[in-house]
Parts: sequence; structure tokens; C-alpha cells
Amino acid sequence: MKKLLFILYATLIGYSAQAQGILISRNASLSFFSSTPVEDIEAKSNQATSVLDPKTRDIIFKVSNTTFEFPKKLMQEHFNEEYIESDKFPYSEFKGKIKDEVDLSKNGTYTVTVAGTLNLHGVTKPYETKATLIVNNGSISAKATFRVKIADHDIKVPSIVFKHIAESVDVRVAADYQPKKS
Amino acid sequence: MKKQLTSVKNIVLLVLLLFTLKSFGQTDLEKELDNAKPKGHEKVKSTFKSTKLVNGQTNETIYKNELDFRVDHRFGDIAGSNGGIRPFFGLDNASDVRIGFQYGLSDRLTVGFARDKGATDVRQLYELNLKYRLLEQTTDNYIPFAVTLFGSATAAGVQASTDLTSDIAYTDFNSRLNYVSQIIFARKFSPSLSVTLTPTYVHRNFTAFRDQNDLFAMGAGARAKLTNHMSLIVDYFLSFRNSGDKDYIQQLNGTKFYNPLGVGLEIETGGHVFDINFTNATAIDEMQFIPSTTTSWLKGQYRWGFSISRRFSFNKDKKKDQYPEKK
Repeated sequence: MKKLLFILYATLIGYSAQAQGILISRNASLSFFSSTPVEDIEAKSNQATSVLDPKTRDIIFKVSNTTFEFPKKLMQEHFNEEYIESDKFPYSEFKGKIKDEVDLSKNGTYTVTVAGTLNLHGVTKPYETKATLIVNNGSISAKATFRVKIADHDIKVPSIVFKHIAESVDVRVAADYQPKKS
Repeated sequence: MKKQLTSVKNIVLLVLLLFTLKSFGQTDLEKELDNAKPKGHEKVKSTFKSTKLVNGQTNETIYKNELDFRVDHRFGDIAGSNGGIRPFFGLDNASDVRIGFQYGLSDRLTVGFARDKGATDVRQLYELNLKYRLLEQTTDNYIPFAVTLFGSATAAGVQASTDLTSDIAYTDFNSRLNYVSQIIFARKFSPSLSVTLTPTYVHRNFTAFRDQNDLFAMGAGARAKLTNHMSLIVDYFLSFRNSGDKDYIQQLNGTKFYNPLGVGLEIETGGHVFDINFTNATAIDEMQFIPSTTTSWLKGQYRWGFSISRRFSFNKDKKKDQYPEKK
């Protein structure tokens, strides 16, 4: 019984130690850019949230699809209503891991590979991309770009606006992580 | 034997605890993420695709710096004594035509101008309108429905009649003016079903003898989405007439008043909203179809109608300097 209690304590201590190390970014920015000869479309959200565990190097990004802002409001309406279908799929989420064995407790700039899955429009696909991490006294700022082929995520573009929307969009991610205050 | 059993038990417990530890770690990260989400009341967007259903208004306004150009058309009676094959089911006649512009001064306030043929004796209509989005429904039902205010002033340009019993025996400019005020309540019940309820007050400065200058009416409308781009739309107006005056006018003109009912199919194609509809109302302007509809569905006095609306944006695109890698 003593042994059991010891294990339980050890577990709880381990758990709380892990929780303390988590870094959070509450206003991560996500933007995407679609370019065709007819029209360039750019949308941005500054309301994405992201968490990073420097020990396990797990990383999660989550954004409410309705927070993306377009220069044209009607476009934003169409994006939510017809393409991303925010009523059915309110969030887009990326769950991944930093593949490189980097020590994120030391200051410095690191170029790493992040691999994981992106759930967009209800379809989950694996992605891998290079990311830049700048560690500065416990806080980390991260940047990455990757390309999403919209057909991969079952997003249908009607033929009448086909020329206006690119087949692949560039996604830009930027986040400033702060240690979680306990 | 007993000792062995305890150690087995311990191992099982240890393994179980290790499992909980692992899942703790993962769900913890997710939980932190959910806690970090910004909280607030999110507004319900796109209750309707367009500013109008068939005859009635929706709660939607035009966004800031966007211009909406809209053409409404109503043909003649499809069936009944004025319809049938001779006027090719009404297509030879245009009972009313309206061309209108609306501009978003802000995301809440829209100002509009329209020219309308007019379907009764009251013709050559010039309408100015204002639409203000007062309240927006929120997804968490903190505000359960949207409220939009609509007001219009319409001047009739038609030459005044010398017949003093006529409804266009105008004596001055003031008598040519007509006003409509509406409070549009709207709720998006689900992504595919939105409804409106519209208490309406119509004031006409000049009417035929014993026709009502002031009239209250209640409008109701709905949109049911069939696909992402196509919806079924319907609206109805119930007017509260003074029965003495109603009987007098009906007897005098040998006509009856009917409540306007419209049904239509609305198609949206990225910037255009197009609808094909059927309605017993001959007129398009609120100040006319609400008090002056004397045509009935049951007598075949319903017509084809359509509307086309096109949205233009005057918002300047932001600079693309964030994307130097763009080819």
C-alpha cells in the first residue's frame, strides 16, 4: 500500500511538473493567401490559440473559422457559409510534434521540422513543414508557412468562381508563446 | 501465493497509473488550449443572403463601403381573367419594375435609393430608405434574435388627377409622400432555417376617400436552404384594416383586398443573388403592396417575378507585402 501511495505521488508530481512547463500563445496569428491571375485573396485571424510543451515537443494550434477576416466582408460571408462551412466545422486544428531533438530551454534560434495532422473542414491530413523558433528567456516565438491544397480537405469551389480561388493556398503561422502562469 | 498476487496487483496498478499519466499529459495540453480560447458572444452571421426575401425585408444590411445594385421585376397575371395564353401567362406585361441601389455607410447602417414604376394609379415612385442593424443574434443565445429597423419615404411622380375621388388627386408635393416603418425581428434557427417577423406601419399622406392613411400590418418570412447556394424563400403580410373603411372601398371599386404571399427560389453565385418567385402582389414597394394588393392567388392573379442583386465592394485590398514569396 505504501508502494502504491508512493507511485501515486510520483505520478502527480510528474504531472504537475509537466503542466508547469507548458507554453501558451493566446493571440497566435494565422493567415492564408490565395493568388490567381484574376484575384488575390488574403484572410487573417489573430485569435488562434496554441500550446507548446517544450519537454515532449508536442504542439497544438486551434482557430475558430469565423475569426478569419477578409478585406471584403461578402467574401468572409461566403468563406464561412459555403467553403469552410463554419456551422458544421467551427474549428480548424493542427496537432503535431517538433521532430528535431532541440532543447527549448536554451536561448537561440532553431530551425526545426514540425510534423502532424491538420483537421480542416472535417478532413484530417498529415502535414510536415519547417518552422523557426526563437527562444528568449523562457518565451518562444514561432513562425512557419505551409501550403494547403483545398481539394485535399474536400472544400468545393463552384465553377463560376473557380478562376477567383487558387487550388492551393499558402498558410502563415506566427505565435508568441509565454509560460503558463500557474 | 498471496505475495505473488500482491505483486501482480501492483504491476497492474503501476501500468494503469502510467496509462493515466500519459493520457493526462495529452488531454492536459488540449485542456490548456480550450482554457486559453478567447471568450465572448459570437455573432450569428448570414441569417439571409439578401436584403429582401420575395416582397419583404430581411434583417440583412449592406456591409461598409459595399454597394448593392438590385433589380426587381413582376410580370402580369399568369392565370385568371387577365392571364392565360393571350398575354403569354403574364410575360407580356410588367406589373412593376424596381431598380435600386443600397450602400453601406457602416456595417450597421445602409442607405438606399430606388426608382419604381408602381403598380396601382400611384406611379413613378422615388424611394429613399434607411436600414439600421440594431441587434445581432449571438451563437450562445445571449441575444436570441436579430433586430433591424427599416424606414422608407416614397414620392409619387405621377401627374395629379383632377378627379377628386382618385387616389392621385394630389394638391401639393406633401400629398405625394408615403412612409414605411418596420421593425424586423429575425432568427437563424439552424444553418438551413431562418425566419423573420416584421411589424409594419405604413403611412400615406394622401389616399382615395375612406382608404386608410395609416395602416398596421404584420409580416412573416422564412428561408429554408436546399443546398449551400439555393434556398426556398417565402413571405406573407397580414394587414389590419378598419372593417368599415375596407367594406366601403371594396364595394366602391368592386375589388377586394388580399394579403400578399410570395414564394420563391433564391440562388446565390458568389456576389450575385438571383431569385425567381411567384406572388399575388402586383407592386414591389412596401408602401404599395402592403395596403393596395387586390389580386388573389385563388383567382389565378399570381405572377412570375424575379430579382437580381449584385454586390460591389469598394474596400481597398490590403497590401500584400507580407507575402514576398508570391510569384
